Amino acid sequence: MRFFKRRARGALGYLEKAVMEILWSGGNACVRDVAEKLERPLAYTTVMTTLDRLYKKGLLDRRKFERAFRYSPRLSRNQWERERAGELVSGFLAGQSSDVLISCLVEAVGDLDQALLDELERKVCEKRRELERRK
Amino acid sequence: MTSSYALRLLCLSLAVLFLVHLSVALAVTMCAPAMVRRAERWRAAAAARMMLALRLLPAASALFVVLAICIPSYLRLEPEGMEEEIGIGCLALAAMGAAAWGFSLARTARVMLRSMRCVRAWRSRRSEAVIAGSRLWIIDGAGDGAGPTLAMAGIFRPKLIVSREIIESLPADQLAAALRHERAHANAWDNFKRLLMLIAPGAGLFPEVDRAWARFTEWAADDRASEGDANRPVSFAAALVSVARMGPAPVPPLATALTANAADLQVRVERLLRERDESRPAPAAWIAGCLLTAGALAMLAFQPATLSVAHAILERLVD
Repeated sequence: MRFFKRRARGALGYLEKAVMEILWSGGNACVRDVAEKLERPLAYTTVMTTLDRLYKKGLLDRRKFERAFRYSPRLSRNQWERERAGELVSGFLAGQSSDVLISCLVEAVGDLDQALLDELERKVCEKRRELERRK
Repeated sequence: MTSSYALRLLCLSLAVLFLVHLSVALAVTMCAPAMVRRAERWRAAAAARMMLALRLLPAASALFVVLAICIPSYLRLEPEGMEEEIGIGCLALAAMGAAAWGFSLARTARVMLRSMRCVRAWRSRRSEAVIAGSRLWIIDGAGDGAGPTLAMAGIFRPKLIVSREIIESLPADQLAAALRHERAHANAWDNFKRLLMLIAPGAGLFPEVDRAWARFTEWAADDRASEGDANRPVSFAAALVSVARMGPAPVPPLATALTANAADLQVRVERLLRERDESRPAPAAWIAGCLLTAGALAMLAFQPATLSVAHAILERLVD
Protein backbone atom coordinates (compact mmCIF):
# COMPACT_ATOMS: atom_id res chain seq x y z
CA MET A 1 0.00 0.00 0.00
CA ARG A 2 3.03 2.21 0.42
CA PHE A 3 3.13 2.72 -3.33
CA PHE A 4 -0.29 4.38 -3.29
CA LYS A 5 0.36 6.48 -0.24
CA ARG A 6 0.69 10.12 -1.24
CA ARG A 7 3.82 11.75 0.06
CA ALA A 8 3.17 14.71 2.31
CA ARG A 9 4.67 17.76 0.65
CA GLY A 10 5.21 19.60 3.91
CA ALA A 11 5.23 23.31 4.59
CA LEU A 12 7.08 25.71 2.32
CA GLY A 13 9.95 27.90 3.43
CA TYR A 14 10.01 31.64 2.75
CA LEU A 15 12.03 31.36 -0.48
CA GLU A 16 10.08 28.33 -1.69
CA LYS A 17 6.82 30.22 -1.14
CA ALA A 18 8.15 33.24 -3.05
CA VAL A 19 9.21 31.01 -5.96
CA MET A 20 5.83 29.25 -6.00
CA GLU A 21 4.03 32.62 -6.02
CA ILE A 22 6.05 33.64 -9.12
CA LEU A 23 5.21 30.41 -10.89
CA TRP A 24 1.52 30.50 -9.88
CA SER A 25 1.18 33.99 -11.30
CA GLY A 26 3.38 33.45 -14.39
CA GLY A 27 2.57 29.87 -15.39
CA ASN A 28 6.07 28.63 -16.23
CA ALA A 29 9.59 30.02 -16.07
CA CYS A 30 13.27 29.11 -16.22
CA VAL A 31 15.71 29.67 -13.34
CA ARG A 32 16.82 33.04 -14.70
CA ASP A 33 13.20 34.32 -15.05
CA VAL A 34 12.45 33.34 -11.46
CA ALA A 35 15.69 34.91 -10.15
CA GLU A 36 14.84 38.19 -11.92
CA LYS A 37 11.35 38.31 -10.44
CA LEU A 38 12.41 37.68 -6.83
CA GLU A 39 12.24 40.71 -4.54
CA ARG A 40 15.81 40.33 -3.26
CA PRO A 41 18.74 39.44 -5.54
CA LEU A 42 19.86 35.85 -5.06
CA ALA A 43 22.54 33.70 -6.67
CA TYR A 44 21.48 31.73 -9.73
CA THR A 45 22.50 28.48 -8.02
CA THR A 46 20.38 29.25 -4.93
CA VAL A 47 17.28 29.70 -7.09
CA MET A 48 18.17 26.59 -9.09
CA THR A 49 18.49 24.53 -5.90
CA THR A 50 15.18 25.84 -4.61
CA LEU A 51 13.41 24.97 -7.86
CA ASP A 52 14.99 21.52 -7.85
CA ARG A 53 13.83 20.96 -4.26
CA LEU A 54 10.27 21.99 -5.18
CA TYR A 55 10.40 19.65 -8.18
CA LYS A 56 11.50 16.79 -5.90
CA LYS A 57 8.66 17.60 -3.49
CA GLY A 58 6.29 17.10 -6.39
CA LEU A 59 5.11 20.69 -6.53
CA LEU A 60 6.64 21.50 -9.92
CA ASP A 61 6.88 19.92 -13.33
CA ARG A 62 9.88 20.59 -15.50
CA ARG A 63 10.83 20.09 -19.12
CA LYS A 64 14.01 20.83 -20.99
CA PHE A 65 13.91 23.82 -23.33
CA GLU A 66 17.07 24.90 -25.14
CA ARG A 67 19.53 23.38 -22.64
CA ALA A 68 17.70 24.78 -19.59
CA PHE A 69 14.78 23.51 -17.54
CA ARG A 70 11.47 25.38 -17.58
CA TYR A 71 9.43 24.83 -14.42
CA SER A 72 5.66 24.96 -14.06
CA PRO A 73 3.42 24.38 -11.00
CA ARG A 74 1.91 20.92 -10.80
CA LEU A 75 -0.92 22.12 -8.53
CA SER A 76 -2.84 25.37 -8.57
CA ARG A 77 -2.57 27.56 -5.47
CA ASN A 78 -6.08 26.48 -4.48
CA GLN A 79 -5.28 22.77 -4.82
CA TRP A 80 -2.08 23.17 -2.83
CA GLU A 81 -3.82 25.06 -0.03
CA ARG A 82 -6.55 22.43 0.09
CA GLU A 83 -3.96 19.66 0.27
CA ARG A 84 -2.09 21.42 3.06
CA ALA A 85 -5.31 21.93 5.01
CA GLY A 86 -6.16 18.25 4.53
CA GLU A 87 -2.73 17.15 5.80
CA LEU A 88 -3.01 19.45 8.80
CA VAL A 89 -6.48 18.22 9.75
CA SER A 90 -5.54 14.54 9.21
CA GLY A 91 -2.48 15.05 11.41
CA PHE A 92 -4.61 16.48 14.20
CA LEU A 93 -7.32 13.85 13.87
CA ALA A 94 -4.75 11.07 14.02
CA GLY A 95 -3.41 12.41 17.31
CA GLN A 96 -4.92 12.81 20.76
CA SER A 97 -6.15 16.34 20.13
CA SER A 98 -8.96 15.59 17.65
CA ASP A 99 -11.68 16.81 20.05
CA VAL A 100 -9.81 20.09 20.54
CA LEU A 101 -9.48 20.56 16.78
CA ILE A 102 -13.16 19.84 16.13
CA SER A 103 -14.35 22.22 18.86
CA CYS A 104 -11.97 24.93 17.54
CA LEU A 105 -13.30 24.41 14.01
CA VAL A 106 -16.95 24.55 15.12
CA GLU A 107 -16.24 27.71 17.10
CA ALA A 108 -14.37 29.32 14.20
CA VAL A 109 -17.14 28.45 11.72
CA GLY A 110 -19.77 29.79 14.14
CA ASP A 111 -17.85 33.06 14.55
CA LEU A 112 -17.36 33.32 10.82
CA ASP A 113 -21.10 32.73 10.21
CA GLN A 114 -22.06 35.42 12.71
CA ALA A 115 -19.54 37.85 11.23
CA LEU A 116 -20.82 37.12 7.73
CA LEU A 117 -24.46 37.55 8.76
CA ASP A 118 -23.62 40.86 10.51
CA GLU A 119 -21.87 42.05 7.36
CA LEU A 120 -24.81 41.03 5.15
CA GLU A 121 -27.26 42.74 7.51
CA ARG A 122 -25.19 45.93 7.34
CA LYS A 123 -25.32 45.82 3.53
CA VAL A 124 -29.11 45.32 3.60
CA CYS A 125 -29.55 48.33 5.93
CA GLU A 126 -27.30 50.45 3.71
CA LYS A 127 -29.33 49.53 0.63
CA ARG A 128 -32.58 50.29 2.45
CA ARG A 129 -31.28 53.74 3.44
CA GLU A 130 -30.15 54.35 -0.14
CA LEU A 131 -33.63 53.50 -1.44
CA GLU A 132 -35.25 55.80 1.14
CA ARG A 133 -32.96 58.68 0.12
CA ARG A 134 -33.96 58.20 -3.53
CA LYS A 135 -37.69 58.57 -2.73
CA MET B 1 -26.23 -19.09 -23.23
CA THR B 2 -29.24 -19.68 -25.52
CA SER B 3 -32.28 -17.60 -24.80
CA SER B 4 -35.76 -16.82 -25.91
CA TYR B 5 -36.87 -13.92 -28.11
CA ALA B 6 -38.13 -11.77 -25.22
CA LEU B 7 -35.14 -12.43 -22.97
CA ARG B 8 -32.76 -11.43 -25.78
CA LEU B 9 -34.73 -8.22 -26.27
CA LEU B 10 -34.54 -7.45 -22.56
CA CYS B 11 -30.78 -8.09 -22.41
CA LEU B 12 -30.13 -6.02 -25.52
CA SER B 13 -32.28 -3.15 -24.27
CA LEU B 14 -30.50 -3.06 -20.92
CA ALA B 15 -27.07 -3.28 -22.58
CA VAL B 16 -27.90 -0.46 -25.01
CA LEU B 17 -29.38 1.57 -22.16
CA PHE B 18 -26.10 1.24 -20.26
CA LEU B 19 -23.82 1.92 -23.24
CA VAL B 20 -25.68 5.00 -24.48
CA HIS B 21 -26.03 6.37 -20.95
CA LEU B 22 -22.32 5.87 -20.31
CA SER B 23 -21.18 7.56 -23.52
CA VAL B 24 -23.50 10.57 -23.18
CA ALA B 25 -22.63 10.86 -19.46
CA LEU B 26 -18.93 11.02 -20.36
CA ALA B 27 -19.62 13.76 -22.92
CA VAL B 28 -21.70 15.70 -20.36
CA THR B 29 -18.98 15.35 -17.71
CA MET B 30 -16.42 16.73 -20.13
CA CYS B 31 -18.41 19.71 -21.30
CA ALA B 32 -20.05 20.50 -17.92
CA PRO B 33 -17.46 23.01 -16.62
CA ALA B 34 -17.63 25.05 -19.83
CA MET B 35 -21.45 24.91 -19.87
CA VAL B 36 -21.69 26.04 -16.24
CA ARG B 37 -19.37 28.99 -16.95
CA ARG B 38 -21.47 29.96 -19.99
CA ALA B 39 -24.77 29.57 -18.14
CA GLU B 40 -23.57 31.98 -15.45
CA ARG B 41 -23.92 34.78 -18.03
CA TRP B 42 -27.59 33.94 -18.71
CA ARG B 43 -30.73 34.69 -16.75
CA ALA B 44 -30.97 32.37 -13.75
CA ALA B 45 -34.14 30.62 -14.93
CA ALA B 46 -32.64 29.85 -18.37
CA ALA B 47 -29.39 28.70 -16.76
CA ALA B 48 -31.31 26.36 -14.42
CA ARG B 49 -33.23 24.90 -17.39
CA MET B 50 -29.96 24.30 -19.25
CA MET B 51 -28.41 22.53 -16.24
CA LEU B 52 -31.50 20.34 -15.86
CA ALA B 53 -31.36 19.43 -19.57
CA LEU B 54 -27.67 18.60 -19.24
CA ARG B 55 -28.30 16.45 -16.16
CA LEU B 56 -31.16 14.51 -17.75
CA LEU B 57 -29.56 14.22 -21.20
CA PRO B 58 -27.74 10.88 -20.62
CA ALA B 59 -30.84 9.13 -19.26
CA ALA B 60 -33.17 10.71 -21.84
CA SER B 61 -30.86 9.81 -24.75
CA ALA B 62 -30.49 6.23 -23.49
CA LEU B 63 -34.27 5.83 -23.16
CA PHE B 64 -34.85 7.41 -26.58
CA VAL B 65 -32.36 5.10 -28.32
CA VAL B 66 -33.84 2.02 -26.65
CA LEU B 67 -37.52 2.91 -27.13
CA ALA B 68 -37.32 4.53 -30.58
CA ILE B 69 -34.58 2.51 -32.26
CA CYS B 70 -33.48 -0.61 -30.41
CA ILE B 71 -36.88 -2.15 -29.62
CA PRO B 72 -38.59 -1.31 -32.97
CA SER B 73 -35.61 -2.59 -34.98
CA TYR B 74 -35.55 -5.83 -32.97
CA LEU B 75 -39.31 -6.39 -33.23
CA ARG B 76 -39.37 -5.65 -36.95
CA LEU B 77 -36.19 -7.36 -38.12
CA GLU B 78 -35.42 -10.18 -35.68
CA PRO B 79 -37.07 -13.46 -36.79
CA GLU B 80 -39.26 -14.96 -34.08
CA GLY B 81 -39.13 -18.53 -32.85
CA MET B 82 -35.37 -19.11 -33.11
CA GLU B 83 -33.03 -19.43 -30.19
CA GLU B 84 -29.74 -17.60 -30.18
CA GLU B 85 -26.75 -17.31 -27.88
CA ILE B 86 -26.20 -14.22 -25.79
CA GLY B 87 -22.52 -13.37 -25.42
CA ILE B 88 -20.96 -12.84 -22.01
CA GLY B 89 -20.12 -9.22 -22.93
CA CYS B 90 -23.74 -8.44 -23.70
CA LEU B 91 -24.85 -10.13 -20.47
CA ALA B 92 -22.33 -8.11 -18.46
CA LEU B 93 -23.47 -4.85 -20.04
CA ALA B 94 -27.11 -5.77 -19.41
CA ALA B 95 -26.31 -6.54 -15.77
CA MET B 96 -24.60 -3.17 -15.38
CA GLY B 97 -27.55 -1.40 -17.03
CA ALA B 98 -30.00 -3.19 -14.72
CA ALA B 99 -27.83 -2.38 -11.70
CA ALA B 100 -27.52 1.32 -12.59
CA TRP B 101 -31.25 1.82 -13.16
CA GLY B 102 -32.24 -0.48 -10.29
CA PHE B 103 -29.96 1.41 -7.93
CA SER B 104 -31.35 4.81 -8.91
CA LEU B 105 -34.95 3.58 -8.66
CA ALA B 106 -34.26 2.10 -5.22
CA ARG B 107 -32.63 5.34 -4.11
CA THR B 108 -35.61 7.34 -5.40
CA ALA B 109 -38.00 5.10 -3.46
CA ARG B 110 -35.90 5.53 -0.30
CA VAL B 111 -35.77 9.32 -0.66
CA MET B 112 -39.51 9.52 -1.35
CA LEU B 113 -40.23 7.46 1.76
CA ARG B 114 -38.03 9.74 3.87
CA SER B 115 -39.73 12.82 2.46
CA MET B 116 -43.21 11.36 3.00
CA ARG B 117 -42.33 10.49 6.59
CA CYS B 118 -41.16 14.06 7.20
CA VAL B 119 -44.30 15.58 5.60
CA ARG B 120 -46.46 13.21 7.67
CA ALA B 121 -44.71 14.42 10.84
CA TRP B 122 -45.37 18.02 9.83
CA ARG B 123 -49.00 17.23 9.01
CA SER B 124 -49.55 15.80 12.50
CA ARG B 125 -48.65 19.12 14.18
CA ARG B 126 -49.84 21.63 11.60
CA SER B 127 -52.44 24.34 11.66
CA GLU B 128 -53.53 25.79 8.30
CA ALA B 129 -53.68 29.49 7.48
CA VAL B 130 -53.61 31.89 4.54
CA ILE B 131 -50.93 34.58 4.74
CA ALA B 132 -50.04 37.05 1.96
CA GLY B 133 -52.19 35.06 -0.46
CA SER B 134 -50.46 31.75 0.30
CA ARG B 135 -52.14 28.77 1.93
CA LEU B 136 -49.64 27.31 4.36
CA TRP B 137 -49.06 24.80 7.09
CA ILE B 138 -47.89 26.43 10.28
CA ILE B 139 -45.69 24.15 12.37
CA ASP B 140 -45.10 24.56 16.09
CA GLY B 141 -41.57 23.78 17.29
CA ALA B 142 -38.75 22.46 15.13
CA GLY B 143 -37.62 19.75 17.54
CA ASP B 144 -34.12 18.29 18.09
CA GLY B 145 -32.67 21.77 18.60
CA ALA B 146 -32.94 22.50 14.88
CA GLY B 147 -33.80 25.90 13.42
CA PRO B 148 -37.28 26.82 12.18
CA THR B 149 -38.47 25.63 8.78
CA LEU B 150 -39.60 27.54 5.73
CA ALA B 151 -39.92 25.06 2.91
CA MET B 152 -42.00 23.84 -0.02
CA ALA B 153 -42.49 20.07 0.23
CA GLY B 154 -44.30 17.66 -2.09
CA ILE B 155 -44.19 16.88 -5.78
CA PHE B 156 -47.60 17.31 -7.42
CA ARG B 157 -49.46 19.26 -4.73
CA PRO B 158 -46.60 20.95 -2.86
CA LYS B 159 -47.28 22.32 0.59
CA LEU B 160 -45.80 25.49 1.96
CA ILE B 161 -44.46 24.71 5.44
CA VAL B 162 -43.59 27.55 7.82
CA SER B 163 -42.57 27.41 11.47
CA ARG B 164 -44.57 29.65 13.80
CA GLU B 165 -41.26 31.16 14.97
CA ILE B 166 -40.66 32.55 11.47
CA ILE B 167 -44.17 33.96 11.18
CA GLU B 168 -43.83 35.66 14.55
CA SER B 169 -40.35 37.08 14.02
CA LEU B 170 -40.32 38.26 10.37
CA PRO B 171 -41.88 41.64 9.51
CA ALA B 172 -44.80 41.43 7.04
CA ASP B 173 -42.81 42.57 3.98
CA GLN B 174 -40.02 40.04 4.62
CA LEU B 175 -42.46 37.20 5.26
CA ALA B 176 -44.38 38.01 2.05
CA ALA B 177 -41.11 38.02 0.07
CA ALA B 178 -40.04 34.69 1.57
CA LEU B 179 -43.41 33.13 0.76
CA ARG B 180 -43.24 34.49 -2.81
CA HIS B 181 -39.84 32.76 -3.14
CA GLU B 182 -41.24 29.40 -2.08
CA ARG B 183 -44.30 29.83 -4.34
CA ALA B 184 -41.89 30.50 -7.22
CA HIS B 185 -40.32 27.08 -6.54
CA ALA B 186 -43.76 25.47 -6.65
CA ASN B 187 -44.72 27.26 -9.89
CA ALA B 188 -41.47 26.13 -11.50
CA TRP B 189 -42.12 22.48 -10.42
CA ASP B 190 -38.67 22.39 -8.81
CA ASN B 191 -39.45 19.41 -6.55
CA PHE B 192 -40.66 17.43 -9.57
CA LYS B 193 -37.41 18.29 -11.37
CA ARG B 194 -35.52 17.13 -8.28
CA LEU B 195 -37.40 13.82 -8.50
CA LEU B 196 -36.49 13.42 -12.20
CA MET B 197 -32.84 14.03 -11.34
CA LEU B 198 -33.04 11.35 -8.68
CA ILE B 199 -34.61 8.81 -11.04
CA ALA B 200 -32.03 9.43 -13.78
CA PRO B 201 -29.01 7.25 -13.00
CA GLY B 202 -25.69 8.92 -12.35
CA ALA B 203 -26.24 10.75 -9.07
CA GLY B 204 -22.79 11.79 -7.96
CA LEU B 205 -21.41 11.56 -11.51
CA PHE B 206 -22.30 15.17 -12.27
CA PRO B 207 -21.62 17.07 -9.05
CA GLU B 208 -20.86 20.28 -10.88
CA VAL B 209 -24.12 20.20 -12.85
CA ASP B 210 -26.13 19.25 -9.74
CA ARG B 211 -24.62 22.10 -7.71
CA ALA B 212 -25.08 24.59 -10.55
CA TRP B 213 -28.72 23.54 -11.00
CA ALA B 214 -29.43 23.97 -7.28
CA ARG B 215 -27.76 27.40 -7.30
CA PHE B 216 -29.48 28.68 -10.45
CA THR B 217 -32.85 27.36 -9.24
CA GLU B 218 -32.51 29.36 -6.03
CA TRP B 219 -31.45 32.44 -7.99
CA ALA B 220 -34.40 32.07 -10.35
CA ALA B 221 -36.83 31.85 -7.41
CA ASP B 222 -35.05 34.85 -5.80
CA ASP B 223 -35.60 36.81 -9.03
CA ARG B 224 -39.28 35.92 -9.12
CA ALA B 225 -39.72 36.76 -5.43
CA SER B 226 -38.21 40.21 -5.88
CA GLU B 227 -39.97 41.27 -9.09
CA GLY B 228 -42.25 44.26 -9.36
CA ASP B 229 -41.02 46.70 -6.71
CA ALA B 230 -37.59 48.18 -5.86
CA ASN B 231 -38.10 47.38 -2.15
CA ARG B 232 -38.84 43.71 -2.68
CA PRO B 233 -35.23 42.57 -3.29
CA VAL B 234 -34.14 44.35 -0.09
CA SER B 235 -37.00 42.86 1.93
CA PHE B 236 -36.19 39.43 0.60
CA ALA B 237 -32.44 39.82 1.31
CA ALA B 238 -33.32 40.86 4.88
CA ALA B 239 -35.58 37.80 5.19
CA LEU B 240 -32.75 35.52 4.02
CA VAL B 241 -30.38 36.93 6.65
CA SER B 242 -33.00 36.75 9.42
CA VAL B 243 -33.92 33.12 8.65
CA ALA B 244 -30.23 32.15 8.34
CA ARG B 245 -29.64 33.60 11.83
CA MET B 246 -32.29 31.25 13.23
CA GLY B 247 -30.11 28.25 12.30
CA PRO B 248 -30.26 25.39 9.81
CA ALA B 249 -33.63 23.65 9.54
CA PRO B 250 -34.29 19.96 8.88
CA VAL B 251 -35.56 19.66 5.31
CA PRO B 252 -36.42 16.42 3.49
CA PRO B 253 -34.51 15.73 0.25
CA LEU B 254 -37.52 16.33 -2.00
CA ALA B 255 -38.22 19.86 -0.74
CA THR B 256 -36.90 23.34 -1.29
CA ALA B 257 -35.88 25.40 1.72
CA LEU B 258 -35.32 29.14 1.93
CA THR B 259 -31.70 28.89 3.11
CA ALA B 260 -30.89 25.32 2.12
CA ASN B 261 -27.39 26.15 0.92
CA ALA B 262 -25.67 28.30 3.53
CA ALA B 263 -22.54 28.60 1.36
CA ASP B 264 -24.51 30.41 -1.33
CA LEU B 265 -26.20 32.85 1.10
CA GLN B 266 -23.68 35.66 0.66
CA VAL B 267 -23.85 35.49 -3.14
CA ARG B 268 -27.66 35.50 -3.05
CA VAL B 269 -27.89 38.49 -0.74
CA GLU B 270 -25.33 40.50 -2.70
CA ARG B 271 -27.06 39.57 -5.95
CA LEU B 272 -30.39 40.84 -4.58
CA LEU B 273 -28.85 44.11 -3.43
CA ARG B 274 -27.25 44.86 -6.80
CA GLU B 275 -29.19 46.76 -9.45
CA ARG B 276 -31.02 44.18 -11.50
CA ASP B 277 -29.34 43.42 -14.82
CA GLU B 278 -32.21 43.01 -17.29
CA SER B 279 -29.82 42.91 -20.23
CA ARG B 280 -28.60 39.39 -19.47
CA PRO B 281 -28.99 37.42 -22.68
CA ALA B 282 -31.56 34.69 -23.10
CA PRO B 283 -29.77 31.75 -24.69
CA ALA B 284 -31.99 31.81 -27.80
CA ALA B 285 -29.25 30.57 -30.12
CA TRP B 286 -28.48 27.68 -27.75
CA ILE B 287 -32.12 26.69 -27.43
CA ALA B 288 -32.59 26.85 -31.21
CA GLY B 289 -29.39 24.82 -31.70
CA CYS B 290 -30.46 22.15 -29.22
CA LEU B 291 -33.96 21.90 -30.71
CA LEU B 292 -32.57 21.62 -34.26
CA THR B 293 -30.07 18.92 -33.21
CA ALA B 294 -32.78 16.99 -31.35
CA GLY B 295 -35.11 17.29 -34.38
CA ALA B 296 -32.41 16.14 -36.80
CA LEU B 297 -31.54 13.16 -34.59
CA ALA B 298 -35.22 12.23 -34.23
CA MET B 299 -35.69 12.39 -38.02
CA LEU B 300 -32.60 10.25 -38.51
CA ALA B 301 -33.87 7.76 -35.94
CA PHE B 302 -37.18 7.31 -37.75
CA GLN B 303 -35.59 6.57 -41.15
CA PRO B 304 -36.21 2.94 -42.22
CA ALA B 305 -32.49 2.51 -42.95
CA THR B 306 -31.66 3.41 -39.34
CA LEU B 307 -33.54 0.35 -38.08
CA SER B 308 -31.51 -1.96 -40.36
CA VAL B 309 -28.24 -0.42 -39.23
CA ALA B 310 -29.37 -0.62 -35.61
CA HIS B 311 -30.31 -4.27 -36.07
CA ALA B 312 -26.88 -5.06 -37.50
CA ILE B 313 -25.26 -3.38 -34.49
CA LEU B 314 -27.53 -5.28 -32.10
CA GLU B 315 -26.57 -8.58 -33.78
CA ARG B 316 -22.92 -7.78 -33.10
CA LEU B 317 -23.69 -6.73 -29.55
CA VAL B 318 -25.60 -9.94 -28.73
CA ASP B 319 -22.58 -12.03 -29.82
